[in-house]
Amino acid sequence: MLKILLPIAAIVLSNGAEADERPIFDAHIHYSHDAVKLVPPEQVAKILRDAGVRKALVSSSDDNGTQLLAAAAPDIVVPALRPYRRRGEINTWMHDDTVIDYLEENLAKNEYEAIGEFHAYGDDIKTSVIQRMIELAKERNLILHHHGDREAVDLIFETWPEARVLWAHSGFDDPANVVEALDAYPRLWADLAYRSDMVSRGVLDPDWKTAFEAHPDRFMVGTDTFAPERWYYVGPHADFSRGWLNLLPDQIADNIAFANAERLLASE
Amino acid sequence: MKRWVTAALLAMPGTAHAEVLLSRNEIQQTLSFGPWPPSFQADPSNRVSNNPRAIALGAALFSDPILSVDGAFACASCHDPEQAFTTSEPRAVGRVLLDRNTPTLKNLAGLRWYGWAGKSDSLWAASLHPIIEKREMAHSKESLKDAIVASPYINDFEAIFGDTQNQGADLVLVNIAKTLSSYLETLTTERSQFDDFRDALERGDMAAASNYPDAAQRGLQLFLGRGNCSLCHNGLRFSNNEFHDAGVPYFLSETEVDEGRFGGLNFLLSSAYTLDGDWSDDPAKQGAWAVRSIRRSHSDFGTFRTPSLRDVAETAPYMHDGSLNDLEAVVRHYNEIDVERLHADGEAILSELNLSEQEVSDLVAFLETLSSSP
Repeated sequence: MLKILLPIAAIVLSNGAEADERPIFDAHIHYSHDAVKLVPPEQVAKILRDAGVRKALVSSSDDNGTQLLAAAAPDIVVPALRPYRRRGEINTWMHDDTVIDYLEENLAKNEYEAIGEFHAYGDDIKTSVIQRMIELAKERNLILHHHGDREAVDLIFETWPEARVLWAHSGFDDPANVVEALDAYPRLWADLAYRSDMVSRGVLDPDWKTAFEAHPDRFMVGTDTFAPERWYYVGPHADFSRGWLNLLPDQIADNIAFANAERLLASE
Repeated sequence: MKRWVTAALLAMPGTAHAEVLLSRNEIQQTLSFGPWPPSFQADPSNRVSNNPRAIALGAALFSDPILSVDGAFACASCHDPEQAFTTSEPRAVGRVLLDRNTPTLKNLAGLRWYGWAGKSDSLWAASLHPIIEKREMAHSKESLKDAIVASPYINDFEAIFGDTQNQGADLVLVNIAKTLSSYLETLTTERSQFDDFRDALERGDMAAASNYPDAAQRGLQLFLGRGNCSLCHNGLRFSNNEFHDAGVPYFLSETEVDEGRFGGLNFLLSSAYTLDGDWSDDPAKQGAWAVRSIRRSHSDFGTFRTPSLRDVAETAPYMHDGSLNDLEAVVRHYNEIDVERLHADGEAILSELNLSEQEVSDLVAFLETLSSSP
């Protein structure tokens, strides 16, 4: 009898472990033109599912990748419109008036939750292209997924005080400065993509811990699939995220893993 | 003074134009690549480092297929001494097609990390892993011990390490690896035309220095300057021995990628064979600080160790996957690098170089002078 019970117990424990795996909302995903050629949408969808990613904020250069992936995994993909036709435009796009046509065309034919991830530093925000882009977001109440510095964040909120801004990579800024920005702007959220300074060899960084405790409702994780091969890092990244999130109280960990992103999407 | 014209040439107007083209600052930078060869320092983690008997046994084992479980091939089958201890295949062929280009084995003594992904922190550990890797030599520890005990090498082995009956299979494996390592430590590249130039500059012997070809000097200036090459290819071996994204794709197949340093670190941090482990012979655990201090980073994924450039002209093809056939292709890769592959906040030093055809040729000419004199 004991011999029979033991395998059953093992199965239950095994299933329990899978069920307990913390779901991930990956708030920083790209599926750009070169990735589309090398990793088919069905394969990408499988990678996301295998990694336990239940939602992903996806933006692509060009937007075709997002649309292909949305068709392959409509339950996972949260579409964002990136103002680039190729990734190489990240330094020049704000001076290119044709970007507005590109945005308007796509906004007219597809549904999006956000505009971004877009790169802009300091006064870039004052260019007519970015000002018009913010206007388009305002007309549709879309989130702005911004990669840049604090000055640019300030100028975005100066342009549109009610904006919902997701600060990519938390601006690659120090945790204390990120906290200060989150203090200043209640409608600013911060993703932690391509950052690993939150943890080192199993120990949570104390400054980051303070930041997460100060703003448990504003941080989220993201992989940043900036090159085609990086799709194969989505799984390891989800595991990495679960590892360091386990060092936090459950409620904060759940918030950062998925709940903050879901609440951001549900907010007005 | 921008240029150092030789006194000899000034005294002989009308002779062929030969001079040192480098600025004072470039000369100072050039001195940092030598002198060559460096002095040898025994590896404290390997008690048979610099031991002549171990070196001789290591050399014999290196070329003997006894180190593969079925006698199919030897270390030298892939690290061919006649081909600068590599082979010409883009990716190594073990029992199957392996993931990476075979690196040369010269100038390995005293490095911090070994292999394209740095999965070892000592030369003896780097020598050990291929012996038990299933896709390579495929021995088990036990089969290796049996093979050594039954081999003609048993007397030499026991003379160095004692009776094999008192050694577990684990210890025999480590001891074999340490003999290989002691041999590999002796493999160094010869002095090159560049070394003669560099030493002449150090002596202030501009007449001798001016024998170094103008094209190579112009290439060196690019290497130090616009090319930004020396940011990673620096020091005596022309390598910082760290890990970078050089913009080379790293797919292995349609559904598999080479994880590079990320995988190397996973391996290293779970390995029993590190300088911080019990198999090191160094009670002071010198060098173990590196493996203890590692901090993981998302940028580890798909990065590979900067290779040395000494004897580089002898080790084609190039890059971690052997995807570039010759030095000109390597220079053109960096010249036209696809920066879209790189993270906006990642390897910011890499950008299109916009070198002219003449400059591409000059940079190749410089790299060719890093090989041993013909």
